[in-house]
Amino acid sequence: MAALLEAKGVSKIFGGLVAVDNVDMTVNKGDIFGIIGPNGAGKTTFFNICTGFYTPSQGAIYLEGQKISGLPCDQIAKKGIARTFQNIQLFKYMSVLDNVKIGFHINTRTNLFDAIVHSKTYKNDEKIIKEKGYAILEEVGLSKYADTMAGNLPYGVQRKVEIARALALEPKILLLDEPAAGMNPNETDSLMQFMLMLKEKGHTITVIEHDMKFVMNSCNHILVLNFGQKICEGTPDAVKNNEQVKEAYFGKGIIAARGTN
Amino acid sequence: MLSQYIISQVVNGLCQGFIYALIALGFAVIVGIVGLATFTHGEIIMIGAYASYYIFLACGHNLILGLLASFSASWIVGIIIYKLCYERFLEAPEHISLICTIGFSMLLKNLAQIVFGAEKKPMLNVIENQIYKFGPVEISKVQFVIMGTVIVLSTTMMIIFNKTKWGIALRSVSQNREAAALVGINVKQTSMIGNCIGCAMAGVAGMLIGIYYQSISPTMGATLSMKAFSAATLGGLTSVPLSSLGGVVLGLIENLGISISTASFRDVFSFGFLIIMLIFKPTGFVKRKGARP
Amino acid sequence: MMDKLKGFYVKNKIPVWVVLMVLLVTMPLYVSAGNMRIVCRIMLYIILAGGLNVISGYCGQLCFGIAGFYCVGSYVQAILMKTYNVSYWLALLPSGIVAALIGAVVALPALRMKGIFLGMITIGFSELMRLIALNWTPVTGGAMGFKGIMAPTFFGIKMGGASKYYYIFLFVVIAYMFCTNRVIKSRVGRAWMSIREDELAARSLGVDAKKYKILNFMYGSFWAGIAGAIFVAYSTYVDSTYFTLDEGFNVLGMLIIGGQGTLVGPIVGSFVAQVLTESLRFINVWRYVVYAALIILMMWVRPQGLIGASGSILAGSKAGKKKTKKAEKIVKSEGKEA
Repeated sequence: MAALLEAKGVSKIFGGLVAVDNVDMTVNKGDIFGIIGPNGAGKTTFFNICTGFYTPSQGAIYLEGQKISGLPCDQIAKKGIARTFQNIQLFKYMSVLDNVKIGFHINTRTNLFDAIVHSKTYKNDEKIIKEKGYAILEEVGLSKYADTMAGNLPYGVQRKVEIARALALEPKILLLDEPAAGMNPNETDSLMQFMLMLKEKGHTITVIEHDMKFVMNSCNHILVLNFGQKICEGTPDAVKNNEQVKEAYFGKGIIAARGTN
Repeated sequence: MLSQYIISQVVNGLCQGFIYALIALGFAVIVGIVGLATFTHGEIIMIGAYASYYIFLACGHNLILGLLASFSASWIVGIIIYKLCYERFLEAPEHISLICTIGFSMLLKNLAQIVFGAEKKPMLNVIENQIYKFGPVEISKVQFVIMGTVIVLSTTMMIIFNKTKWGIALRSVSQNREAAALVGINVKQTSMIGNCIGCAMAGVAGMLIGIYYQSISPTMGATLSMKAFSAATLGGLTSVPLSSLGGVVLGLIENLGISISTASFRDVFSFGFLIIMLIFKPTGFVKRKGARP
Repeated sequence: MMDKLKGFYVKNKIPVWVVLMVLLVTMPLYVSAGNMRIVCRIMLYIILAGGLNVISGYCGQLCFGIAGFYCVGSYVQAILMKTYNVSYWLALLPSGIVAALIGAVVALPALRMKGIFLGMITIGFSELMRLIALNWTPVTGGAMGFKGIMAPTFFGIKMGGASKYYYIFLFVVIAYMFCTNRVIKSRVGRAWMSIREDELAARSLGVDAKKYKILNFMYGSFWAGIAGAIFVAYSTYVDSTYFTLDEGFNVLGMLIIGGQGTLVGPIVGSFVAQVLTESLRFINVWRYVVYAALIILMMWVRPQGLIGASGSILAGSKAGKKKTKKAEKIVKSEGKEA
């Protein structure tokens, strides 16, 4: 198992607020890696550091042993990290297919002149985009929505479009920020199946999620953050039985009360 | 002799800068409270100037009356602008209301050419020519009156903004419209008042410009509003004190600039300064906040 | 009705184009010389509004300074032709390219700014270009500008006068439409549009926002420069009064009337604006007042323009508006209960 994405001693400080405090993380190839923690624990900030939206105040991020922190986020996307957003950031006024087409940006080469003269590069690129774009939509089960405007779709479907768009990058690792938020149990379940299917196909996924059932059933490795600090890391079972995790989620009092009973 | 010239240019620059500051401050109030920019500011300046011109013609050289006339005329136009250009588009993309204000500015400009006549009109000599000397510094009475008016108006406004219930409502709307609505502030009316205050400042500035240059015309506002716009941009668009600072700085730079070249380069200096400033510091005079982006 | 027209067009693509082309090419035969001047002006503004459309319509970069690029193109053409005796045809491309380079320079500060700040930069730049043209007398001729710029000859035919110069305008408009149509349907155009819709998301997908914004400004200003270059030989003289900020606002107004972010928008906008101001001539000075009132009316009724789709990002959403209203309502009803 080779380490794909590594964080070494990463901290992020906003003014006086330490949002992420000295976090280490190692995501291996083929993992579904979960990051959990109470609200405001710094999960999304940590994601933003991994994808280059923020530069870490201390520490560094490595992708396949190569340092990527400090690069602008479009460069990091080119290196092979694709992400989705907590508050879906689709191109709402474009069709689903166009959304996916933009995802192919880094894997195609067409420039202004190619486009004007319809050169070979342009024709090749458009052919690839069309074929692979439909294939991805098929895979995610969105073919029937190809020409619908993304903003008009229901919430759950929009989440899927965002994942489809990220898959178009053909990334080495996929970062999903609360993919199940706002979904009903059925949708959550199908999302989980979908993620497991992606894993079968060899994708590596890192996911932030609040839904414990979702995380416990799908992830094979979990990192727990609280107030920016890593309080626990390990397999789902190990995390489930960790005292500190219970404390973070339920508070000291309850645990103590239970202990005396 | 040269230093004398420089000193007089500094005084001229300060005086001009104070006028710019008054316009820019009005602009900042509008952008801050309504949340949308305006391109009608130049025409408001023109309306204020004409209002005072006709009052001076009718009632003689009464500065206070002229001030009231330009204030109320531009306040009324402010209401019209708000109803026409802003009310419907508060939450829409900003270019829509911008185009609306561009349209309204075209409308006012052309209407003014029909109603007031396209040619320049000489402003009456409201304030007699008199020069005060403070050591090497010479200030004419007109400049004195202008600076005084600007200082009095802007301090009054600062007091209203910071000390009265009304001003606090205005500021709350500028910070968060929804939250202001939730605590029971009538957002629309408050935005309208904000817009009117901004317009009234420009109107008064129009009168001052008319007195300073002793001539008014329907197209007088165009460059002035652009200067004020630049000044407000330097001040981060919404900050009242910094926008005023921007106005003063621009006035100084222009007048010092033309003292080393010719008068036709006046605008080159101000716009050049704006662009250079924004290239090196996109936030203008505003300090970068350390908060989360 | 739009759908029917579109359906008709899709079914009869080739005949429609043939008829359109024949009508366009033979236009000087059935349109009077006086009206050809209006047609030429429409064509000129199609190119200008088209260039602006690429910048503000497709990439969402607010630009009020299109007159600045127009100015650069005009003066480069005039200087090359008058001062250096370069032939008309050879000077065209350099004019566009210099305008594009200036566009790149403007785009540099623009990268860090958005919305009204960006608009301000473009305003300042546009005025700066005009002032340089007005004051740099040894090079630009100062307030006098350039006079006697000759229309070119094409295989021995002198292209002077509206009816003949029309073909040059027509050629450039077609070239613009052809290129832009292809560009916006390619990877480049999609990248521009993704930046307009959501820059953050675009960057997370590996779109180099900086590079594409600069490219966008260059492409748009190139066409504005070309428009300026062909304009000087048409009017035979040029001075700085053509390139005021009002001209920039005027072009933006046309684009908005037609519909931003659509290929046909500039055509419709320029056509409607010119025909309106011409047909309103009988009310004399009032026509600009009416025109201005129409712009405001347009924003009230169809903010996305005549051609724009109502579901476009440029049409504006009403969702946010409702939120504030709701909040006000809640407060009111609570007040009543109390």
